[in-house]
Amino acid sequence: MKKIFSKSMMMALLAVFAVNVASAQVPHVYINPGHGGYDSDDRNMVIYPFHQGDSAGSWESKSNLRKGLALREILQKKGYKTSISRVTNTTADDLALSTIVSLCNQSGADVFYSIHSNATGTSAVNNFPMVFYRGYTGSPQIPNADVLAADLEPYLYASQTTVWTHNYQIWGDWSFRPEWGTQGYGVLRGNRAVANLSEGSFHDYIPEAYRLLGLQYCWMEGWNISLGADKYFDRLDNFAQGVISGNVRDDRIKRLQENPQPFIVYGDDNLMPIHSATVRLLDQNGNEVQRTQTDTLRNGIYTFKYVNPGTYTVEVTEPSHFPQSKTVTVSANASTYQNFYLKRVRDTPPVVVDYTPVWNEGDPAVKCSTPIILSFNWDMDSVTTCDAFTLDPPLEGDFKWEDSYYRLIFTPKDAFDVNTLYTLTLKKTAEHGGGTPMDEDFVMSFYTQKRNHLTELAVFPYEGAPVHLKTPTVELRVDSMLDTYNLFQKLRVLDSEGNELAWNKRSIKYNKNGDNYGFVRIPLTKNIEAGKDYQLILDVDIADTAGIHLPETRVINFKGVDAGAEKPGMQVVEEFENADDYCNYLEGLNSVELSSSTDKLFGSKSMQVTYEFTKYLGSVPRPVMIEPKTPSDISFHPGDTVGIHVWGDMSYHKLIVSFSDEIFGSWGVLLGTIDFHGWRYMEVVVPYFDEIGNNIKFNGFWIELGEDPMVMTGTLRFDNLLKRASSGINEVKLADMKVNVAGDYIVVSADTWVQGVELIDINGRIVKAAGGNCLNISQVEPGVYLVRVHINGRTATQKVVIK
Amino acid sequence: MKKLFILLLLAMALPAMAQEVEVTSLQRLLEGVEGPAYYPVLDQAGNRLLFSSEEGALKYYDMVDGVTTVVTRDYVAGNDACWGGDGKVYFVTQEVGEDHLIYRTGQSYDVATRQSAVVTPSQHGAVRAVPATRGGAVKAPAQNYSSSGNIGEAAWAEGSRVHVTVGGEERVFSPVDSWAGYLWASLSPDGKRVAFFAAGKGIVVIDLRGQVLAMLGNYEMPCWYNNDYLVAQNAKDDGHQFTSSQIMLLKADGTWQAELTKPASMALQPTCGGGKIVYTTIDGLLYEMKINIYQ
Repeated sequence: MKKIFSKSMMMALLAVFAVNVASAQVPHVYINPGHGGYDSDDRNMVIYPFHQGDSAGSWESKSNLRKGLALREILQKKGYKTSISRVTNTTADDLALSTIVSLCNQSGADVFYSIHSNATGTSAVNNFPMVFYRGYTGSPQIPNADVLAADLEPYLYASQTTVWTHNYQIWGDWSFRPEWGTQGYGVLRGNRAVANLSEGSFHDYIPEAYRLLGLQYCWMEGWNISLGADKYFDRLDNFAQGVISGNVRDDRIKRLQENPQPFIVYGDDNLMPIHSATVRLLDQNGNEVQRTQTDTLRNGIYTFKYVNPGTYTVEVTEPSHFPQSKTVTVSANASTYQNFYLKRVRDTPPVVVDYTPVWNEGDPAVKCSTPIILSFNWDMDSVTTCDAFTLDPPLEGDFKWEDSYYRLIFTPKDAFDVNTLYTLTLKKTAEHGGGTPMDEDFVMSFYTQKRNHLTELAVFPYEGAPVHLKTPTVELRVDSMLDTYNLFQKLRVLDSEGNELAWNKRSIKYNKNGDNYGFVRIPLTKNIEAGKDYQLILDVDIADTAGIHLPETRVINFKGVDAGAEKPGMQVVEEFENADDYCNYLEGLNSVELSSSTDKLFGSKSMQVTYEFTKYLGSVPRPVMIEPKTPSDISFHPGDTVGIHVWGDMSYHKLIVSFSDEIFGSWGVLLGTIDFHGWRYMEVVVPYFDEIGNNIKFNGFWIELGEDPMVMTGTLRFDNLLKRASSGINEVKLADMKVNVAGDYIVVSADTWVQGVELIDINGRIVKAAGGNCLNISQVEPGVYLVRVHINGRTATQKVVIK
Repeated sequence: MKKLFILLLLAMALPAMAQEVEVTSLQRLLEGVEGPAYYPVLDQAGNRLLFSSEEGALKYYDMVDGVTTVVTRDYVAGNDACWGGDGKVYFVTQEVGEDHLIYRTGQSYDVATRQSAVVTPSQHGAVRAVPATRGGAVKAPAQNYSSSGNIGEAAWAEGSRVHVTVGGEERVFSPVDSWAGYLWASLSPDGKRVAFFAAGKGIVVIDLRGQVLAMLGNYEMPCWYNNDYLVAQNAKDDGHQFTSSQIMLLKADGTWQAELTKPASMALQPTCGGGKIVYTTIDGLLYEMKINIYQ
């Protein structure tokens, strides 16, 4: 009984004692300025003019310390007990996480603030305050840590000296970083104080990095954290002074983007912060209460600390701007924000100080893509200046301002017209930013060149082209060297649902110096589907190195096909499995290499022909003639269909399938032009001749250079050659076609439209060709020739003798 | 399978046979019995282990009979609890008051009777339990507590001072400069030296007159393995989270040190007693390690 009594008495005494002790205490805040030193983990943001690792530059460790020291100073002034984990920005002061936590625990602090700034670590650019506590969001491990955070964040977010992109966020670290499990942030782990980790803003938002360089800005964050502590401890009424802070900016000049890369800015951060502005705080009698100055660190921040409540005037002066004053009211223990937007002093009329293009009579003509650029002595008013801009003859275009309205760029919507004298007049009604007009009109003229658009030489796929499904290659050829910068983004292939197909950018090929034409060649990463429709889109922005672009955006429709699909009713005549079965008939004339390739449609190999045309005795190169060493046993007859699988390289060379018979010897039928990339199935019908033999055999291929060659080299591959026996329907019947050699002309008559006539010598060289059914042979040497007639996409050949 | 797992763990612990220490065993404690466990504290004999559970309860594990007992469910009581020389547990609980100040209460727990007792009243400020060779103490701003008139020898840190009680006499030393403060002071088993951590300087060993005997390097949480060696934590971080952590063996005279676990082991918070080393990991797995040191 005595023991029970003693214990009860003891507990009662302890309780009374506890109340007395508690009433005498003030809050104890432990401050942890995050990181420490100038090491790799101290978050160095490289911003102009500071270099990587420059301790004078932007370091999270440095701004964290400035905020922490400010918070300590303010809290002590407000009567708090404080502890802080570091007072210098050195590696030695960068204490380990366990040490910081244990120091806080040993100090007996009530609350703990770990002070940081944030970074996305990605290309995303944000700026907003965040705070973390240990545990899941809404369920802190230490009771009240969420309350402490909720009391802090509105004060940080109330800052009007920065530009926020989003509202503030409060997180439990286990919810924010679920990949860390329950490890969480190291300074919150095991911390017995009511602990927060505050990310006051994002230091990878470049304007914020400049602000964090400023002592006054960091001080304000410390002040705002103190307000959060006051709110948490119900001490907002305990401090009698407030603060004023704001940002001084030009009212229209844009901030300089001097970093290595232009950076993203939001809202008022687009405007230039004003350096070395004097900011004075005047009482109602005009007496100066405080004076400060904005720094030269590209932030424009000013702060008046510890101001007694009342109404004041804040006056800002800076020699290159008109002064500005505003009335502010200060409340006890509160932040008052007042930003200034100063008008620049512009004391002379605006004039054009520089311009392009500069052209005088007799000078070379100006490229049709050249923009007009006017540079002024002052930043100009965009409305009056653009209104004063007239071009004769008129041309639609876009205005763009650079260098904070100091430079105006006019770019034609399309291009200047060719061979045209343009006169630009900028009327004197154009005003600078201060409202003063020019003293006189500005006039300049220039004459344009004869070319104002890129000319498309060839494209694959072309409209309606069948394209083999295997990772198709797209190629565009134009008449001058293409600007290759991001060129692949200006060509797109879409499927029928509008989905963009990906390029294999590692295999892209561009024109280079010395090429005959400009080109881009790039394959897709994946196969397309046979039977599906696709579109190739060539953006109008595709331009050459002089900025001359395509006349318009082109949409080219094409279809996916399987070139190797089964062809019913066709008999395999030749498989091309062994290139040694063939030879170069005109050996020594052209450079020709025959080989077997594993890029095939059937079997295990295809036959590859790599060739280069060489001029024969200075004249037009002879055809490449590939013949089988041993002719196939299978014979053809007029009207039979010959099908061949050909892999082309868009050489625009002509491919002729060669036959032989016992009467006429070797002769050829045009299969088509190699105007495609990849595999294609090509067909031709064996023509009728008056004197044709009965034993027609496949006799290889002829490759001709064509009339307007783009390249002298090429590579072709051949796989299965097929035959379909004639059904006697819809074939070119030479019996219905008459070739009449009469005087100076060969005239072809048939029962259908004759597309063209070619005269071929005995070496297979085209010596004369013409569209339509007439061919002038007045200048042709007498001799034996072949006449090749093109009818409905097919050809027929007949021997003629010219006397 | 279990054998393989232990072998893997032994591979993570360094088999430093070629040098002067050999890890002879490494055993996971309370596997499948307890969830994550932190702040382990062995008693002097190495038979009982205090630890803090994930939810914050303070428990002790009798390593002889294998029974785990809850000392208190008051949150964070386990963060700085200690065994007194009298076999009692000394610890501190806390509450956040309506004024948002934190009030801390010193308590003791008698393992034999399983009874807790308040030894210092709830009060605002720093309250901490201090182990002593014959009992325990609680240091508090308004009222200290000692388990008896003569608690024997004790050492504790406060600010940038280390306090040493010898034969009832309290001595206070500040042998090295440390702006942020001292932590983790402890007496060697023979009571002749004190080791503590000075922020920014590392582990310091002094004699009972405050003379610095050795600086052991920038490691944390030192504990005496025996009179000649200490065990400590070597943790690295990026300012936000731990990037590596290992357990080190340090010779008390500063002439030698060895890794007991690799940096990737993420081993934390070592404690020593009875020739055993116990530590936890970043995810709260307790391990008992035994070593042989070859002189």
